[in-house]
Order: sequence, then C-alpha cells, then structure tokens
Amino acid sequence: MTQRSNAAASKQPPKLSVHQRSRVLARKETLSAYLFLLPSLIFFLGFVVAPMVMCLVYSFFDMGLNMDEATFVGLGNYFEMFQDAIFRKGFLNTVIIVVVAVPTVTAFSLWVSSAIYQMKAFTRSFYRCVFYLPVVTGTVAVTVVWKWMFNPYNGLINQIFDSVGFNWLGNPKTALACIIMILFTTSIGQPIVLYVAALGNVDHSLVEAAQVDGATKFQVFWKVKWPQIMPTTLYILVITTINSFQCFALIQLLTSGGPNHATDTIMYYIFDMAYKYHRFGYANAMGVILAIIIAIFSAVQFKLAKSET
Amino acid sequence: MKKLLALLLALTMTFGMVACGSKETTDADQTTEPGTMETGDTANTGDTAEGGETTGDATAITIWTYPIGKFGDRDSVNELIAKFNEVHPEISVTLELLDYTNGDTQVTGAITAGTTPDIIMEGPERLVTNWGAAGKMVDLSDLWTDEVKADIEATSPSVVSACQLDGKYYEYPLCMTTHTMAINYEAFEAAGALQYIDEETRTWTTEDFQNALKALKDAGATPVNGIVYCGGQGGDQGTRALVNNLFSGTYTNAEHTEYTANSPENVEALTLLQTLVNDGLLVADPAAQAADELQQFANGTAAMTFCWNASNKAQYAADVSFTPFAMAFPSDDGEPELCGGIWGFGIFDNGDQARIDAAKTFIQFVCDDETQAAASVQMTGFFPVRSSLGNVYASTETEADADEFLTLMPYLGDYYNVTGGWTEQRTLWFNMLQQVFSGTDAQTAADTFVESANANIK
Repeated sequence: MTQRSNAAASKQPPKLSVHQRSRVLARKETLSAYLFLLPSLIFFLGFVVAPMVMCLVYSFFDMGLNMDEATFVGLGNYFEMFQDAIFRKGFLNTVIIVVVAVPTVTAFSLWVSSAIYQMKAFTRSFYRCVFYLPVVTGTVAVTVVWKWMFNPYNGLINQIFDSVGFNWLGNPKTALACIIMILFTTSIGQPIVLYVAALGNVDHSLVEAAQVDGATKFQVFWKVKWPQIMPTTLYILVITTINSFQCFALIQLLTSGGPNHATDTIMYYIFDMAYKYHRFGYANAMGVILAIIIAIFSAVQFKLAKSET
Repeated sequence: MKKLLALLLALTMTFGMVACGSKETTDADQTTEPGTMETGDTANTGDTAEGGETTGDATAITIWTYPIGKFGDRDSVNELIAKFNEVHPEISVTLELLDYTNGDTQVTGAITAGTTPDIIMEGPERLVTNWGAAGKMVDLSDLWTDEVKADIEATSPSVVSACQLDGKYYEYPLCMTTHTMAINYEAFEAAGALQYIDEETRTWTTEDFQNALKALKDAGATPVNGIVYCGGQGGDQGTRALVNNLFSGTYTNAEHTEYTANSPENVEALTLLQTLVNDGLLVADPAAQAADELQQFANGTAAMTFCWNASNKAQYAADVSFTPFAMAFPSDDGEPELCGGIWGFGIFDNGDQARIDAAKTFIQFVCDDETQAAASVQMTGFFPVRSSLGNVYASTETEADADEFLTLMPYLGDYYNVTGGWTEQRTLWFNMLQQVFSGTDAQTAADTFVESANANIK
C-alpha cells in the first residue's frame, strides 16, 4: 500500500512556481491566439500575400497565354512602361481622378454629415440611406442609368441643358469629368455614414466648453471637432484614394478608355494589356507600380494626418 | 466541463468536414450519371463548369457558348443537350453562357488558371488565331474527312482555310453569314432616298450613299443619319466593312500576313467619313459600341445601322416600328465585299482523352447528325457551312427573313479574321477611328494603326 502510494506520488507532475505557471499559461494563450488566427492567416497568405509575390515575380517576365514560354526580361517591362505614351496618359488621368475625387468626396461627405448628424434619428437615417444607395446598387446598374442620362440623342442631361446631340462621354474634353462625377456619386455613401457616426461621438462637453469660452462655430469645428474626427478622416482619405486609383468598372462599361485614351487609367490599361493583349508580365509590372504609387499616397496621407493631430 | 465542450466542438467540426467531403463526392457522382439527371440541372451547375471528369463508363464535359443566335439562350441549348443525351446518355454536358463583353476575359482567366471548358463555340478568329495558335486547342483533323471538306468547300473554300492553322484544324464549323448594314426603309422613303439604293440587289455606290445622306439630312427623317460607333471592339466588323468598301480597300493582304488599313483606298475612305461627320451627315460616337448604335437604330433615332445580320434582326424585331432593310455596304464600284462570320466548335486540350472523345461526339452530333444538323443551324439564325444541308429555312416561319440575307451571301468577301494579332488589332482599330474623328490626319492615324497591328503578328 505504501509502495503503491509512493509510486503514485512519484508519477505526479512536479509542482510549478507561480512564475512558471504564468509562463505556461501565457504560452497556451499565445498558441490559442495563433490557432484562432490561423484560418484567416491562411487565407491572407494564399489570396493576398502569394498573389502579390507572384505579381512581383511575373513582372520580370515576358509572358503570354503560354506560361511555360515565359522569358526573363529583368526590368525590361518597367523600362518599357515609362516609354509607353498610353501608360503615361493613363497615369496622368489616374492622378487627375485621385487629386480631384479624393478631396471633393471627403469635403462633400463632411459637409453633408455636419448638416445631418444632429437631425432626428429618422431623418438622419433617411439621408444616410439616400446617399448610401449608389454604393449598394450594382456598378453595372448605376452605369447603365448614367449611360442613358448621358445619351447624346435622348439622354436626360442633354434635355436639361438643351444640348441634344452633344456627346458628353464621347468628347475628350468632358469624358474624364463625367467619369469623375459618376465616381463621386458612388463614393460618397460610405464616408457620409462614417462621418455621421464620428461626429456623433465627438465629446459634447468639450464643444460646450469652447462655446462658453466664446469660440466661433468655425473655431469649434476646427479646434474641437476636427481633431476628434481625424482618425475617421484618415480612414476615409485612404479608402477613397485606393478606390479612385482602382477605378475600373465605370471606365470599362462607359468609355473603354476612350475617346482617344482620354479616360484611360493605369487600372484599365492593366486590364487591357492582360486580357486583350495577353501581356501578363507587362500588366503585372504596371500592377507593381500602381501598388507602389498607392502606398506612397497613403503614407503621405498618414504622415500629414499625424502632423495634424 | 471545458474538456467535454472542447471534445464536443472538435467532434462537431470533424463531422462537419466529413459531411462536406461526402457532399462533394455525391455531387461528383451525380455529374457522372447523366441519365439520372435533368438537363436543366446539369446546365445550371456552375461549380462543375471548371472542367468535366471521367469516372467509369460515364464522362462529364463542359461547353461554353458565346451568344450566337439561340446558342446564347439557356433553354434552347439545354433542349439540344437533352436531345444529345437521348442518343448518348453516357456523356453529361454542363453549359455555361458567355457574352461578348466579358467572355474573352473569362476564357483568358480560365486558360491561365487551367480551368478551360472542354468545348467552346465561336469563330476562327478566337478558336484558331487566338487559342489555337497558343497551343491550347485540340487538333480536329480527324473530324475533317474528305467528304466533310468537299461539302464545306462547295459552300465556301474560305471556311475550310479559316478553320485551320499550319495544317491543323482547330474549329469544326456549323454556320456562316455575311455581316451587312441596314436602313430604315420608311425613313429613306420619306426622304426620297430610296432612289439611291438598288432594292433588288441591295447594293449602292459610294456616291449614292452620300446622296442618300444628304437627302436624309434635308428631310430630317430621323435625328441622325447614321452613327459610326467606335467606343469599343463590339461590332467592329461593321466599321471595318464600311471603311474597306467605300473605295474598295482591303483590311489585310491576300496572304493574311499584314494589315493594310493605311492603303490609299482606306485612307480615302477614312477621310471621306471624317468629312461626312464634320458636315453633320454622319455622327461619330466614341462612346458607343455596336449594341448602342443598334439600339438607336431600333429606336428610330438613326436611319441606318452598320452592324446588321440575321441574328440582330431577330434580336431587335420587337423593338422596331419600321422596316429594317438589309443592305450591302456602299462601294465605289457597286460591288461590295462583305465581312463573313463563321461559327463552330473547338475543343480545349485538357489532357483527358476520354473527355476529348466525348467532346468530339457532342460536336459531331450537333453539326453532322442527320436529325439535328439543320436544327442546330436554325438555332444560330445563320446559314449552314455544309452545302448538303441546303436551305435549312425552306418552308419555315423565318424563310422570308433568311432569304433577305441569302441575297447578300454572294457578296461574301475574304475571311481575313485569321490574320495574326487579330485580338490585339481590334483594340487598335477603334482607337484609330477615335483619333480620326477627333481630328487626327487619316493617313497618320492609319499608319500608326498598321504599324502597331503588324507588330503583333507572330
């Protein structure tokens, strides 16, 4: 009996100190955390990181439909890109879209949100719904409606301006402006919803204190509200910038990059090169450059926003 | 308690995974038993569209069709598949419909991902020049027996040459047609412009064309006379034929080894079109593709369309409140050369001989079966490539419509769509037209086009 109890006692795990137990616990928690992360990590690696790496690798190759006939060209695709007049035109158009659309969308969303965030719940929801509708409506449906409105012969726009026959989307001087305008209408929904929420969360005691101290409405906004909604503004700037850089469906469905490349963007040109010319290496190289440009723009925005706060 | 919960959770997940796995197996089994499956179900099974499979005695294949007449209609193709399964229950066919806006992108995506269908239905410009030249298609030479060749050659030798590349046949053709233009008969009548067309032969000269445009404008019969669309590659056969015919130019040389759109005849035609647009006799629309232009024609906004054929006539029949009168493109000598359209089947090389054989069986049923071939051609709304089929529309409801286009068949010109770099030049063509209509000198724009297009010929 004594022998048995001695044997059982010898099998028991040695007692751990508090420090050791907390380390074991921490290790277990870390393991659990990684296990929980694992599914999304697998998807992230498989569908984001791996394609990015493949994109970078392919950009050094000249490859068509036959991947096995791909030839290594080093930086050839990159050199070609900067000598390509259509790429340069697409780059310029992309920058114009971003430079015009991003501030306009952000400023307009902030203005609308400022007007509606203090309204009654029902009215506020109504406006949010109205501005969000173009976002939830399919791009194709939105595009079809706009195409009809811009129709030169029986479109609504020409009826309003009494300019029947004027081809808004077919004129190099107006086509890009039309694209930016449509992009604007489909981009403001989400920023408005975000700004309404952010403005609703502004600390009212600070606002009241500023008002008591005699601050003007502009000062209250600029000194009190603006710093508090800056994180939201930064997020809106980044997503609007990325969306503007990646504007594709509107151009594909409305103008196919025309007239005379007036609405070509980098994104559309990438599609053109990959799926019409089957120049996958060249398209990947442009994709890499586009990603770098977006990263630079986003970094600048982060930096500026940081200095503001 | 925690351990018990964890065990339960683990068991649930394990069973869930097993169940998912079982379902996949069940689906696969179903796919290989076509006799027990309704065709509609097969056709709607999107998840098997990436590729068929072979299990035991049964073979599952997939077919992707572009909207060639009723081959763009799911019910009609399902009906065809059901007829096929009556004869060949051992082969199940999964259908996926493509459209001309996104179809090429889908196919290119499938090629790069290795998930191409077994059968695809389209013309030699895609099946032969594009995918065949890239080594993605199966050589169908065994289907092209001497008898078949002779039968098709009797209709048009260019069909036989269009379906092959370097001695290998990548397409087995079913039907063909000529692409024409059409006029709004009543609008022409009201403007007194019918005098400029030969109603019997459906031809007119370039001079007649210009006079008709002036008469139409003076009468104001329709808001615009005609729209030269150049917003994309859709329906570009119409603008090519318009340019080539005005002064009897050619799009490529006779050997199909280089593009010749910058020839003096073509440049003269482009310059004339530029002038007609500047004079308000025609409208150039860089935002419109053929579908947009056709809609304006059907609405009665435009008095003519440059993109017409039997299929379009059937498609827009319900929209028009006038008589669309099919015409050849105007030419300086009154002898037009119309662009041809050939459609048929090709097989992607997926490396599975059983599936390739099954795909060939299906194609032969659709194109050659005595009880089915004529009906298959009727589905397209076009005309048979096999002379032995004769007039498949005789004594049918559509006989009159078919006769209208049969009148224009003798004007079938060179089938140049097999020239190398075909896909690439289509983008260049509409961009070139945009340049011309935005004021660029026609010769300069055409030279740039030819230089770029020829650079893509491999």
